[in-house]
Amino acid sequence: MDIFWGMPAEEHLAWGGLIALYLFLAGISGGAFVTASLTDLFSKKRSAKLIKTGAYIAPVAIILGLGLLVLDLSKPFHFWKLLFYINGNSVMSIGTFIISIFVALAFVYGLLIWAESSSKSAGFGSKLAKFVSRFAALRKPVAMLGTLFAFSTTTYTGFLLAAITANALWSVSFFGLVSVPFLAVLFLVSGLSAGLAATLLGADRSDNVGTYKKIDTVLIVLEIILLAVLYSTVNPLYFSGSMAVLFWVGVVAIGLLLPLILSIYSLYRHSNLLIPVSGMVIIGGLCLRYFIVYSGQLY
Amino acid sequence: MAKHYGMVIQIAKCIGCQACTVACKFQNKVPEGQYRTMSPAVGPIGTYPNVSMHFGKEACQMCQNALCVDVCPTKASHYDENGLVMVDADKCVGCRYCLAACPYDARFINKETGAADKYTFCFEERLSKGLQPACVSTCLGGSLSFGDVNDPNSDVAKILGKSKAEFRLSELGTKPRIYYIYDGVVK
Repeated sequence: MDIFWGMPAEEHLAWGGLIALYLFLAGISGGAFVTASLTDLFSKKRSAKLIKTGAYIAPVAIILGLGLLVLDLSKPFHFWKLLFYINGNSVMSIGTFIISIFVALAFVYGLLIWAESSSKSAGFGSKLAKFVSRFAALRKPVAMLGTLFAFSTTTYTGFLLAAITANALWSVSFFGLVSVPFLAVLFLVSGLSAGLAATLLGADRSDNVGTYKKIDTVLIVLEIILLAVLYSTVNPLYFSGSMAVLFWVGVVAIGLLLPLILSIYSLYRHSNLLIPVSGMVIIGGLCLRYFIVYSGQLY
Repeated sequence: MAKHYGMVIQIAKCIGCQACTVACKFQNKVPEGQYRTMSPAVGPIGTYPNVSMHFGKEACQMCQNALCVDVCPTKASHYDENGLVMVDADKCVGCRYCLAACPYDARFINKETGAADKYTFCFEERLSKGLQPACVSTCLGGSLSFGDVNDPNSDVAKILGKSKAEFRLSELGTKPRIYYIYDGVVK
């Protein structure tokens, strides 16, 4: 602390918990959408419950995340200016449009999926469901285009931080590829993993989720490799002090190692450990965003 | 040659009186607890009996390659006609992307306007009226000089001709307009 200008460290943090939570929600939203849409498009069995869960999580999570983002602005009522004043060099300005399109697609997709299962039932909302059902042919095109924007949104959260080139943790490039930020890849894998886990929580007991569990296991292994690379690339200071517990307990133990051990165990023993595994993966994803956002600014 | 505004800071001449800090706050009505510029003590450096101390100057470095301008989503942070980095408070939504991007930690959110705020060379209030920035005109020790670096008759050009100046974090390629001269100072 300076002898003339003592300032608490907190004041130096431009971005805090709300931003970390938003990055997490954008990731989980993209992952859930991709899980639902790819199941819808390519799965022969087409588990309706699973598609529904993913299709509902996606719009809710991203809209919640955007709400937090607007609340985090120091001039929240001026958020609309982001849509009218555009800077093509600014990752955030480009991202505003990517996310806006994704919100629209996720919302429409959720509505179409909802109408599909609600149009037959009578009662409240059935009129709306019948009306929406007229556009049922749009479901697959929306799923395809939405998948593209879901990937973009999840990846964008990494580009957003990486554009801050003066930040040594955030701007690490992916194996020396200058135009590919490490965080974009890490957040994509983590977002897909958390989104898939959240969607699986809504699956029916009768659904055969073996394939999904295997994909999640692969994603967890990928994330472990990515984090190991990051750990050996950047200054060890980022993993020290108050950040050490968050990283080693939250991100590594709860978010990666325990779910990995449990899911391998359940694959062999055929026991159902879906809820603890998915829950831990989601918590780990949240811890990762907090860790990256805070550690990058603290050191 | 076109005008190239720059500020030269001769660190050895600064006595730490903070007249610049106060003048800036009055001139620009900067809210309580916030500063566009300040001159904090650096040090003590070294081991007794070889210890030293000096005063630094914290302010926007007026980069010609400004990271804040690159990241700003609404172009609220921009270069004006003289190439100086300015903030259009009306366009600013307060996302703090520029605060995170600035490697000099020179920006803050103005408590009263909610917009990103920073050092401006007193452009609107003084420079555009032919006056020197408030911090320069109030500087007691003659540590601060401001002017057109391309004009050989200007104070800044004369000082830069005599002493070797450096930029802060020059390795980032930001090309600042604030020249630091550390002659006579143990860093």
